[in-house]
Amino acid sequence: MITGSPPATPAVPAFALSVEERIATAHGWLRDRRQAAWDAFSTMPMPSSQRDEDWRRTDIAKLRLSGFRPSDDIDEPLVNAIRQRRDQGAADAALMFDAAPVTRIEHSDELTAAGIVLSSLEEAARLHPELVERALGAVGVAESPFVALWNAMWSGGAFIYVPRSVHAAVPVWVAHSAAGHRGAAFPATVVLLEDNSSLTLVDDYLSAAGLNEMFSDALTIVVAGRDARLDHCVLQQWGEGVWHVALHRTMLAQNARLRMFGATLGSRLQKAYWEVMLDGPGAEANISGVVFGDGTQHLDHQSLQAHRAPQTTSRLKLKVAVRDHARSVYSGLIDVERVAQQTDAYVQNRNLLLSHGATADSVPRLEIRANDVRCGHGATAGHIDDDHRFYLMARGVTAEDADRLIVHGFLDDALADCPHPGVAALIGDLLERELEGNAQAGIAVVDA
Amino acid sequence: MTVQAHELSKDYEYGFHDVDISVFRTEKGISPEVVAAISDHKSEPEWMLKFRLKAYEHYLKRPMPTWGADLSGIDFDNIYYYVKPAGEQSRSWDDVPASIKNTFDRLGIPEAERKFLAGVSAQYDSEVVYHNIREDLEKLGVIFCDCDTGLRDHPEIFRKYFGTVIPPNDNKFAALNSAVWSGGSFVYVPAGVKVEVPLQAYFRINSDNMGQFERTLIIAEEGSSVHYIEGCTAPNYSSDSLHSAVVELIAHKGAKIRYTTIQNWSDNVYNLVTKRAIAHENATVEWVDGNLGSKVTMKYPAIYLMGEGAHGEVLSAAFAGPGQHQDAGAKCIHVAAHTTSNIVSRSISKGTGRTSYRGHIKVYPKAHDVRINVRCDALLLDEESQSDTYPYMDVNSPDVTIGHEASVSKVGEDQIFYLTSRGIDENEATALIVNGFFEPFVKELPMEYAVELNRLLALSMEGSVG
Repeated sequence: MITGSPPATPAVPAFALSVEERIATAHGWLRDRRQAAWDAFSTMPMPSSQRDEDWRRTDIAKLRLSGFRPSDDIDEPLVNAIRQRRDQGAADAALMFDAAPVTRIEHSDELTAAGIVLSSLEEAARLHPELVERALGAVGVAESPFVALWNAMWSGGAFIYVPRSVHAAVPVWVAHSAAGHRGAAFPATVVLLEDNSSLTLVDDYLSAAGLNEMFSDALTIVVAGRDARLDHCVLQQWGEGVWHVALHRTMLAQNARLRMFGATLGSRLQKAYWEVMLDGPGAEANISGVVFGDGTQHLDHQSLQAHRAPQTTSRLKLKVAVRDHARSVYSGLIDVERVAQQTDAYVQNRNLLLSHGATADSVPRLEIRANDVRCGHGATAGHIDDDHRFYLMARGVTAEDADRLIVHGFLDDALADCPHPGVAALIGDLLERELEGNAQAGIAVVDA
Repeated sequence: MTVQAHELSKDYEYGFHDVDISVFRTEKGISPEVVAAISDHKSEPEWMLKFRLKAYEHYLKRPMPTWGADLSGIDFDNIYYYVKPAGEQSRSWDDVPASIKNTFDRLGIPEAERKFLAGVSAQYDSEVVYHNIREDLEKLGVIFCDCDTGLRDHPEIFRKYFGTVIPPNDNKFAALNSAVWSGGSFVYVPAGVKVEVPLQAYFRINSDNMGQFERTLIIAEEGSSVHYIEGCTAPNYSSDSLHSAVVELIAHKGAKIRYTTIQNWSDNVYNLVTKRAIAHENATVEWVDGNLGSKVTMKYPAIYLMGEGAHGEVLSAAFAGPGQHQDAGAKCIHVAAHTTSNIVSRSISKGTGRTSYRGHIKVYPKAHDVRINVRCDALLLDEESQSDTYPYMDVNSPDVTIGHEASVSKVGEDQIFYLTSRGIDENEATALIVNGFFEPFVKELPMEYAVELNRLLALSMEGSVG
């Protein structure tokens, strides 16, 4: 009985032009999908912190989509900075640049020789429509306004297909980036893992440090077959003017296994859904992450562990440190369906508040409809323990260094779960710079 | 070994009801006329009539809560909002009408009274019919009466605090209660007075389609302490009943209030209650809240820790049998520094029963040196039962230590095995484990409540193991 009708979606003229073009140039099912998504988006109200439980703690009233146009192409210095970052994290990885207007792919020979497909999502939609359709089916066309907008707007994108019993010998590093003031990006990673295959994937969201206001509406879909294995790292280091909305969804068939690690450092505001659907018996998901917020950053993570088959296991651990006036919001749901007997699920959210003015909200929820289960969650919030600080200072460490060591120790506990050692080391370095207090959101780009 | 669901084999133990002997009741449904008629019948002062009518407007404006239990079964037009039973308010047990006495006899009240009770304020339908306070309490200046009497005989204190903790526009059901409230307890404990024995009231609904909207207001002045016990049990009726109470507690500097509830409404009652306490400097408020009965309960006892050094405790236990939804929990709002709170919740679901823990922890920016601990555990007895946990934590101050732990599990097969291997049959073993699970709650209850609770649990658990 809410009085008044919700405000309609603001007009998006810049998008409207490009979506018309995208619908016109698409074929068959994809054209229908884009059209349906656009039609749905045009009638959906934007999420509201007043009306929508998911958005109650994350206010995007100031996000005016009408002010955005499709992103500029990224320039060579940024491309080089991304290459260097990949070299630091996983030098052997194939590199996919998901940035307007076309997806560039480097170092993919070893993988393609093994029968693995790496291509832009656009090309895959032309060449392997049945595979792309199968994967996109894991997300409804218009589950939310941002998903609908993504479905209408995405271009380029990264598509990875690993055939049955093929194990990707090197990681795939997908760099999602954007440029230009008021540029909008629609990052896309779509992965199909056939039975008994395996892959290490890095989704890296980043832009040059700076105040450019940008909008990123991202989707990652992974469909993993029986006994498939995915190690997935998600890095988010957008510049400080970027609004980042993302849905990461992984579907796990029987005995499939996901290890996911997320590091959230950048952006002005983020709302990211980390979802895993345990659809087959014996499926297992281990999700872990570190979050560091400073300045006035607003970093929202919402997780879903959906147990939809028996004997499934999931773990989620999110460690958050917030400083200055940053705000972290964590909400999560362990959802156990009636058939999912012998579910074993746990969520842990630990928050460290480093300043007055920093806030951390935590809402770890459980909905359990099967009885033979072990489910639980733990959440804590606190500040740096004076005893710990005293202990270090008594050994000659300065107060500042002591605090830095303590925060490091706090986050390292989760960082140890990162499935790729090189990426873990890279994230460790990035955290170190954040803790020193002289890191800007986004990455430093040096003109060659 | 399988654990199966069975319907309760016995009839609702207190599901008898007497022939309706009400002498005055409003027509079914609610309107400004009904609200005015209630106020007029009670000869209330003008300000209370205005308060009620204003609350009625809020009630119309506020939306139905959609975030929790399913409330679509409530037919607001098919409810009597005020029923006054026969007979004037009695001071002595001998004056209570025989049929009402009969009801209380079956609930064991006179016996409880004989033992140790300070005062019994037994609510029969909407009006308190029996009322007794031991004289020594009166001498200490303790006021313990129903809220209607409080309004009439102690207007200054009553008006100063009434509706200050839970304003009438707080939520739809608080607004409804504020419009049509009747009965409930008014307790005032003067500074420094420690009430040694628990004050107790039994509530019953006894008229078909009767809403019960009692209102309780407890004020503990500086350095005083009081323990209030509310127990509910209602006869079983075919059509749905609504119980929507408002309970306000004010604990002044250094005071202590404990409020104990065992809710055992019959399984057709919607029990939608707003309970909130204010704890001033160094005060302690404890809610001990047990929910066994009703069709749907939505109740989240709250403590606002407004003064430095205040402490809050919520101890919640819920049992949801077939068809029941216990949506219970706790809220602790830390406004002041050096405040602490502790929440322990235990819930059990059986058959198609569903328990939900819904909690809210909030720490305001200026509240430094705050410590909060939350522990909720749920037990699922069979394949049809359901349990949810919705804890909300908003932390706006860095100088806090907050811990929250939750678990959901079934009765462990190894626990059952351990007991059965020692010659205890499965039924009894399950009952023992369930009793043990509720132990943190039960041990806080006065003896006869603990005994009654264990009896009720044993009854609910009968035949739960196949």
